[in-house]
Amino acid sequence: MTRWFEDITIDEVFDLGSHIFTAEEIIRFGQLYDPQYFHTAPELAPQSEFGGLVASGWHTVCIGHRKMVDALFAEEERLRGLGEEPGVSGPSPGVNEMVFKAPVRPGDTVNYTLSVSAKRPSNSLPGWGLLFNHLEATNQNGELVYRAELVGFSKLRDFKPSLGLRLALWARTVPVLKRLLSR
Amino acid sequence: MTDKISDSLKHYEDLEPGLVIQLGITRVTKQMIIEFATEFDPFPFHLDEQAAKKSLLGGLAASGWQTAGLSLRLLVDAFLSKVDSRGGLGFSDLKWKRPVMVNDSITGTVTLTDLRQSESHPEWAIMTLEFDIRNQRDEPVMTMSLANLVGVANPKNKSAA
Repeated sequence: MTRWFEDITIDEVFDLGSHIFTAEEIIRFGQLYDPQYFHTAPELAPQSEFGGLVASGWHTVCIGHRKMVDALFAEEERLRGLGEEPGVSGPSPGVNEMVFKAPVRPGDTVNYTLSVSAKRPSNSLPGWGLLFNHLEATNQNGELVYRAELVGFSKLRDFKPSLGLRLALWARTVPVLKRLLSR
Repeated sequence: MTDKISDSLKHYEDLEPGLVIQLGITRVTKQMIIEFATEFDPFPFHLDEQAAKKSLLGGLAASGWQTAGLSLRLLVDAFLSKVDSRGGLGFSDLKWKRPVMVNDSITGTVTLTDLRQSESHPEWAIMTLEFDIRNQRDEPVMTMSLANLVGVANPKNKSAA
């Protein structure tokens, strides 16, 4: 959530809401990113392992990501409404694990939840922390669709850079010094 | 059942670990980045050049999920559409090593590092596919390990490998 790194509670579960997958969007995503016939061709898909059209696992994951981003923005708005300054989410360095379980078929409703299972300050990026996000997607029958361990950067609120680091960051703002430093 | 889709495709018996799959190339345009981000990853650093310059990415860059999706597409075109793929099991150790900026191209290789017949479902084998995605300067962009099922043509002949 776009709270400050310091304010994030381990294992607090956030409901990110649901998404209903239509055949049209399953096929559109499949044609762009995963054109295997069981994701793109409803007339051939019954021959497949799945017995019919199913969403690409990557599609269900991309929708899960969108749900997470929407929840971050909503939390940001909520904090602003309370007169507080929200935290800052950064890009993600990667995904430790993603396990696809039940397939998603046209008309399925998938619900997503997010929790932070661990956090620590980043070793490589001073001023930022790492969040280990646990995401779960379940369908309308309560079956697990996927679970994932994702890593995300989150800015530290209470970070006091050392004098050496402040000098280094300042030097990067001076064009001549930046050129020298980046050699 | 002579015209089953899977009959014309490669099976477990036709594959060997060590196979290196050369991927095609995709150029990532500003329009592609903004369209994907609008639908799936609407952080300002994937949508707006000014916001992107101030972010950790240093400029407008594709969502990591778009890089992953485009890499998967390259693998489907080069390999997964030619084998009897029975779907993905998941992936691990996905690392976004460098952002993909406007007009960068991505390509790379995927190596079949492991192939084993399933104990519980002898009609399936599990392929481990290691991605090494690079940009036009041959800099690493993304790595990951994908687990995907492939059909076994003769499940009763245990141990074709």
